[in-house]
Amino acid sequence: MRVSDKARIRQRRIIHGVLIFLSFSLMFLGKADLSALRNIRMGSSDFLAPFIDFVSAPIRGIETMVEGVRTVASLRAENVRLQGENDLLKRWRRRAEILESENRQLRSVTGAAAVKNRIQITARAVTAPGGGFAHTVLIAIGGEEGIVRGNPVVTADGLVGIVIDVGRAYARVLMISDINARIPVILSSSSWPGLSVGQNGQFLDLQFLPDEATPKIGELVLTSGHGGVLPNGLAVGRVDQIKDGKIRVRPAVDLRNLSYVSVLTGGLDGIDNSNLDLADFYTPLPIDDTTRLLEGLNSSGQRR
Amino acid sequence: MRDQRSYFERADFESDFPPQFLVSIVGVTIVLLELGFAQWPFFYGAAPVLSLIFIYYMNIYHEKYIPVFVIFLMGIVGDVLLSDLLGGRATAFLLLTYVMQHRLARLQQSDFGWLWLDFSVSCAAISLFQLLLFSALNLAIPSLSPILFQLGATLILFPIGFVIIFTVYRLLQKVKIV
Repeated sequence: MRVSDKARIRQRRIIHGVLIFLSFSLMFLGKADLSALRNIRMGSSDFLAPFIDFVSAPIRGIETMVEGVRTVASLRAENVRLQGENDLLKRWRRRAEILESENRQLRSVTGAAAVKNRIQITARAVTAPGGGFAHTVLIAIGGEEGIVRGNPVVTADGLVGIVIDVGRAYARVLMISDINARIPVILSSSSWPGLSVGQNGQFLDLQFLPDEATPKIGELVLTSGHGGVLPNGLAVGRVDQIKDGKIRVRPAVDLRNLSYVSVLTGGLDGIDNSNLDLADFYTPLPIDDTTRLLEGLNSSGQRR
Repeated sequence: MRDQRSYFERADFESDFPPQFLVSIVGVTIVLLELGFAQWPFFYGAAPVLSLIFIYYMNIYHEKYIPVFVIFLMGIVGDVLLSDLLGGRATAFLLLTYVMQHRLARLQQSDFGWLWLDFSVSCAAISLFQLLLFSALNLAIPSLSPILFQLGATLILFPIGFVIIFTVYRLLQKVKIV
């Protein structure tokens, strides 16, 4: 072995050691959630997002093609299913109109707060969760459009997540399926409060429900609005499975197929989101029984 | 007459820097491609780790063209864009490279079946390393099925990735200026 080769190997080993130390340190610095590091991270995402778009274009093309072939193959069955669904929807629409009118009348009486001071801005989802350790998505909208940390992100089907980092033109959304996402919710028919917890998988866990609560399969789970970050009444999911005391919720939004989302801006006045740590992000429900005002109320406002 | 010799001196074709630069661009592009795959509903939350296949291949056959800094860069870019634990992927990749360097001679002489097996063990070790780190730092255990799916998808794609990189290398050899 030549002297220059030995020197090269030694140099490579030193650099290797330094880089391992650096990346190991970054893990702890990243966990400390320093604002400078967050800015660098979001700046990098801002810079790289257009490249992801460019590289993903052929993959999206293939996906569209596959989807097209699959759709044609199942067209007949789909048509029959849609006709049935259409009849059902017509009935539901009539029912919804009646309920909407009733709801309006009840609000005027009870003074219940509707989602106000929130403006919807539509944005395109640039990425999707690619690993089993974090469920976040980058959206093509940022600080320039008035997006701030804490803004809820929704689709027509329900809640997707919440903005956790904002860059100039892009923002990162923590999805409800992420293990760090803890959302105060209520069961739609019985109004029992609980906490929806992500599992970094396709389903959510419903935790901290009172012992008296009896959730049913298919029951809708809505945001309760506790903590003030999220408006109340956004669909989170439906109870999918109850097994050994564990309640599994299927998200209302198909998180695997996110193309466009809406960010609800505004409405965060009075909430200190300057130092919004993930662990403290979703305010847990009060433990004191006397403060659980919604407990035991059904959707008609009657106590069970 | 002015001496023009310096203008016509032969360029240094033996330098390692141009191929290293090219490899770094290809490496980062592969990480971006992974994110593209993540947009397929099939790979939701479990896109195959194509960058690991690339690093594994390059470490065995073209070690001098993949400086450790490029491996670090690929890991960090992946961490930033996937919002994973910052530095987690980079540390795992660098540790894998360190271990591989000590077994390089044996790996270079192994047949493909053995390499696939070795890659499977390496990939599983990386997933376990990341899982342990994640669990220790977050005090929570994430759902294991996406991690296992990701591992399986990466192992299945290993031969395809191997052949593609080999073919691209052969093509580049043909167009190389001597």
